[in-house]
Order: sequence, then C-alpha cells, then structure tokens
Amino acid sequence: MKKFKIQDSRFKIAGFLSLCCTAALLLFCSSSSAELTINTNHDHISIDFSYHGSEVAVSGVSAAGADLIIKIASPEGRQSLRKKGKAAGFLWMNVGELKFENTPALYFMRSTKKLEGLLDEEEMGRYLLGYSALERHAEIAPVSNPEEKARWFDEFVRFKESSRLYSISHGDISVAEKDGKQNYHISLSWPYQAVPGDYTVTVYAVKDKRVIETAMTQVRVEQVGGIKFLADMAKNKGALYGIISIIVALAAGFGVGMIFRKGGAH
Amino acid sequence: MYLYLPVALTSINIIIPIGLGLVVGLLSGLFGVGGGFLMTPLLIMLGIPATVAAATDSNQIVAASTSGTYAHWKVGNVDFKMGFHLLIGGFIGGLFGVQGIKILRAMGNADFVIKMTYVLMLGIVGAYMFIESIQSMKKARKGDDVPLTESPSRESAIARLLKSLPLQTHYEKSGVTHSALIPIIFGGFVGVLAAIMGVGGGFLMVPVMVYILRMPMHVVVGTSLFQILFNCIEVTFLQAYTNHTVDFTLAVLLLLGSTIGAQIGTVFGRKLKGEQLKILLAVIVLVVTVKIIFELTMTPSLLLSQAGGH
Repeated sequence: MKKFKIQDSRFKIAGFLSLCCTAALLLFCSSSSAELTINTNHDHISIDFSYHGSEVAVSGVSAAGADLIIKIASPEGRQSLRKKGKAAGFLWMNVGELKFENTPALYFMRSTKKLEGLLDEEEMGRYLLGYSALERHAEIAPVSNPEEKARWFDEFVRFKESSRLYSISHGDISVAEKDGKQNYHISLSWPYQAVPGDYTVTVYAVKDKRVIETAMTQVRVEQVGGIKFLADMAKNKGALYGIISIIVALAAGFGVGMIFRKGGAH
Repeated sequence: MYLYLPVALTSINIIIPIGLGLVVGLLSGLFGVGGGFLMTPLLIMLGIPATVAAATDSNQIVAASTSGTYAHWKVGNVDFKMGFHLLIGGFIGGLFGVQGIKILRAMGNADFVIKMTYVLMLGIVGAYMFIESIQSMKKARKGDDVPLTESPSRESAIARLLKSLPLQTHYEKSGVTHSALIPIIFGGFVGVLAAIMGVGGGFLMVPVMVYILRMPMHVVVGTSLFQILFNCIEVTFLQAYTNHTVDFTLAVLLLLGSTIGAQIGTVFGRKLKGEQLKILLAVIVLVVTVKIIFELTMTPSLLLSQAGGH
C-alpha cells in the first residue's frame, strides 16, 4: 500500500516535470525570434581606499528596430530626509522630517528616445519607468494633499540628482544593426555616492508603445579590505573604535608637538 | 589624489581636509577655540553627512588641542587648576544641556530655539569682544580714559559680588584669585549652552575667561585648549559608541593639517598682543554670525537634506 503510494507520487512528479519542460520549450520557441540579452562589464564594484566611483557599461542584443530603455535601481525602501521651511515667516531652517516610502536610493534611466514618446502612462507605471511613475508609486508622509506630495517629490528628485543618485536622459544608447538583430551599448559613470548594496540593471525592449521583452542582471557594490574593516568596526565595535580614534589623535597631537619642540630648540 | 571614507561613504580629495585642518588648527593655536563652528559646516558643504561631520570634527579637535595644549604648556600658558575647575562645571553643565534638548524637542520647534540661541550668542560675544578690544586698544594708545558706557560699572559690580563668595582660590598661572565656584558655575553655563547648540563652546569659554575670570589672554588660549581636549575626548567616545558616526580616515586627514596648524598658531600667537588676538577672534566670530544670518534668510537651493543617524 505504502509502496504503491510512493510510486504514484513519483509518477506525478515525472509528469509534472515533463509538462514544465514542454511549457518552457514552447515559451522559448515563441520568444526566440526576439531574444533580448543584457550584460554588464562587471557584476562587482569593489570599494577600496582609492575608490572614486566606477564605470558601468551595459550591452546586449535585442530585436531589430525595437526601442530600448535601460534602468539601474537599488531595491525600494524608506528614506527619511530633513525638510527645510520658513520658521517665524522668514527664517529658513529644518522644520521636520519627511519619509519617502517605496523609493529606490539610486535610480538611473536611459532610453533610445524620450520616454513619453515610447510608452503610455499605464505601461510606465507597470515597470516603474520615469519620475512620474516613481512619484505615483512613492508614499510621502506627512503631506496633506496631492499637490504637496508632488512638490516634495520634485524636491526629492532635485536632492537625489544633486548627489548624482538619480538621473534620466535619452539618446545616449548606441545601437547597431547586425544579422537582423541589433547590438546596443551604453557606458554610465557610476557615482561614488552610491552606497554598498545590490543594484538591478534591467533592459526593456519597446515596440508600439508596449514593453515586449525585458532582461535583467545585477551589479553588487561591496566594501573590501581596509574600508570594510573600518566600516565594520565602526558599526560593530563602537567602543573600541572610539578608543582607538582617541588614542591615535592624542598620539598625533603629542608627536607633532615633540617634532616642533625639537625643530624650535635648534 | 582621492581617498574613500568608510563611514561618511563618500570620496574626497585629500588636499582639501588637510588644508582645512591646517587653517582650523591655526585658529585653535591662536585663539584657543576648537573651530567646530567653521569646520563642521565646511565638511557638510564637501558632501560629508552632518552627523559624521560633527563627530569626526570632535575626533580631530582631540589631536589639534593636544598639539596646541602641549605647545602652550611648554611656554607656561596652561592653568591646569583653572582648566580642571572649568571642566567640572562643563561636565555638569553638559548633562543639564542634554536634558534641556530633550525638553525642547518635546515642546516642538527645538531647531528654531537652538539656531536662534546660536546666532544670538555668536552675535553678542563677537560684538562685545570687538567693541571692548577696540576701546582698550584706543585707551592704550592715547593713554587716557575713554568712556566705556555702562560696562565698567556693571563689571565691577559683578566683580564685587564674585569676591564675596566662599572657597577663594589663587590661580598662580593666571595670577587671579576667585572663588572656585566661579569657574565651576561659568564652566557649567558654557557647558549647558554648548550641549544645546551642539558645539564645543570655545567661542563662549574664551570670553568667559577673559572678561569674567580676568585671565591674561595668552593663558586663556592655553587653558581653553586643555579644557577642549577633555571635552572632545568624551564627545568622540560617545559619538563612536552610540552613533557610529566617527570617520577615522577623515579624522586622520584633518589632524595631519590641524596638529601642525596648532603649532604654527601658537608661534604666531606669541608674537601678537592679547588685544590683537581678541579683536581677530571677534572679527571671525562676527563673520560666522553674518554667514549664518545669510543662510537663514536666503532661499536654500535644496529643501531636503540627509537626516541624522542610520
């Protein structure tokens, strides 16, 4: 009885697997006419002491004639920022904090043509393409009405753009037709302000105002060596880190004092 | 040449913090101030998060004030007894100040009160020192009395009151006799304000020593640095331990400049008269006041900034 049951479930698994294979094969065939690929020049960016940003080159193959959108973004999260406002009617100072929910810390978008001409609003919203889609997706608190939300989202983008963490532009993806397909390539300067973490790079092939295909890959930004050692120590061994910082400062102060004393005596 | 900063999470051209350290260290050696009122805003302008800027600056001041105290001690310009009494007061005052901030935050618009206190203290101290040192320079030049409005009579009234307090102590290095309570109370007063404003308070401590404790300017500078050294050791430890905001790499770059700057400042300071030092410090404090007033009244280019902590 027991044995029979096991056999039965084995058959079920085998059946399920073969079904999957067929489905995958079918899917593969149907999309093989317009296979979209994506590659980056490196999937790891290491932060060491000499790090001053990097360069990320994104390339691949797409169906001929398709327009392309490339997006690089960090995972969505909550960001708290101080907001400035007028206190007592005329003095600019920090007047509280705003929380920006469901927003990426880094957001780059590049497209072959202006985004508004490539996709309609619904499609932009579905794939979170463009600032207006990001704005609709974001939640900002505390704001009292949609106009206020729009105003603070604009400020948010300006803040992000000033630290080189958000940018949108078009016309800088180079495309070359080859064997009925097209090769695309773009090189982006990677800002040193981008914090360690995983970043998703996605390419969208667009035809007739619709996204017909997507492909994605990841870039991991990591601290290594001395940078990692110091950052970990500051975070996990605060007391020891503080004491070492103080001792080094004291030693440096005394050391320079001694050097000057010798220099002054002669 | 660029260097990446592991806590500030940004990259910086190393010439900038070394140069900045040199200038601010020079001011330390000359005037006995930590220079946080200059350094912290400049670091923020360079893209360092505000919390990291303040914490790292206090680490750097430990080095600059050690260098400066050492240089001043060699020429006998540090009154350790006075410095110790001011420290006791400053420590107690700091505890009250931290509670004061909590109360202010609970009442709302704490930032407004803090900023206003800061601007007013800077403005009053700068203006008072400026006017006073100009008048005493005139007096010294002409050799006759210049009417000082009401300030001399008010000063002497305070002086009489101070003389009547218990625990009269002679401070040999400064050549003054005060009740030990005086430096403790005024050190405490500066400690409260410094904690509320989130600054070291050197620009308040120096005038307190000059005008209330009547210490000679050169001893004021050395003693102030001694006192600042201990305050900044405490602040650096607390920032590293509770907020994890001290950037060691940045601090090392800054102290490369500031320890040398402090030595040069001390040498320069010995060549200047007390009145000249006072008037220079007054001008710097007034310039900073005007800069803050500009910042408060001009529309900022960005309305959002990085929040503290992480």
